[in-house]
Amino acid sequence: MGGSESISSGEASQDHLYRDAANQYGSALERLARAYEADPEKRRDLIQEIHFQLWRSFQRFDARCSTRTWVYRVAHHVAASHVLRERRTFSNLVNLEELETLPDKTQGQFAADQRMNLERLSVLIQQLKPLDRQVIISYLEDMDAASIGEITGLSPANVAMRVHRIKNILAQRFREGGKYA
Amino acid sequence: MPDDPSANDPRTIWQNQPVESSAMTLETIRRKARELHAKTRRELLGNIAAPLAVIVFSGLGAAIFNNPMQRTAFALALAWALAGQYSLHRGMWSATLPGDAALTTGLEFYRREIERRRYLFRRVLQWSFGPVFLAIGALLLPIVTGGIAERGVFRNMIPFLTLLALWIGGFFVVRMRQQRELQREIDELNDIERDNRR
Repeated sequence: MGGSESISSGEASQDHLYRDAANQYGSALERLARAYEADPEKRRDLIQEIHFQLWRSFQRFDARCSTRTWVYRVAHHVAASHVLRERRTFSNLVNLEELETLPDKTQGQFAADQRMNLERLSVLIQQLKPLDRQVIISYLEDMDAASIGEITGLSPANVAMRVHRIKNILAQRFREGGKYA
Repeated sequence: MPDDPSANDPRTIWQNQPVESSAMTLETIRRKARELHAKTRRELLGNIAAPLAVIVFSGLGAAIFNNPMQRTAFALALAWALAGQYSLHRGMWSATLPGDAALTTGLEFYRREIERRRYLFRRVLQWSFGPVFLAIGALLLPIVTGGIAERGVFRNMIPFLTLLALWIGGFFVVRMRQQRELQREIDELNDIERDNRR
């Protein structure tokens, strides 16, 4: 692991895969980190950890799934571990079913403001347990049910049910622009 | 942008959020890999500090005290702590993902993480706290039994014993609550997997 002169062909391929993935999914990974960590300092650490683990994971990449699925799986796993380590308790995290019944913490504040809407969306996601978080992030990243299922391990019916719930929750919280629902 | 209907579309809001570029250079990544190895070594050393104290304390106790019961208890605590260190650090946990992590789905990974936490708690309880409690018990044994005969000494010990009991009680209450939460999570994952099979 010394200087660049001692890099083997395996490492070169690993580096190449990582560089491509970082270029293609860098922004998505930043958004994903935002969904898992509210604190900017800790978020920066989390992003770095995701990049690091992604680079390490490419040692074993065998194209059994698409690069996108691979990248999201690694990123979600790192972020979920981060949540479990940081929160230590699950009592303040909810699933989608419980979230439907919770009041919007930021309701009424600058609803039309784009930045505030992003804040509301982030707060909403950060309340969720890791598995539901994965579904909502994938949905927001425009993934189809099959891709969400591949990343999360949920059946198509289960994904469809959760996405339906997510749409309802988002429609309730962001009613004004309801085009997406 | 109140006239733009997409301004309130969560997917548009989400995808258009400003992001900082935090991509890492390969050199930075390699440095992080080296740091991780060093961190794991430091964690290993940090984790053996308390059991090492128990080992030294129990060894001294077994050598110094004359009471056969007390010496046996110290010797047991010593052996327990040594066996515990072997057992706990055989597969040293570090803050890295398992190699096959990317081959597992979110559901599998999450279950594995929860189960690992539950298992880790049991092992720490069994191998780390067990010897500590036994060593404390061995130390207190003659003071408490001898102190009962001498009421004054025992009365002086009451605040310390009360604090000790509260600490142990508090530790177990908190840990048991965490265990119940972990179990609830596992139950929820079982339900999701049952739904998946339908």
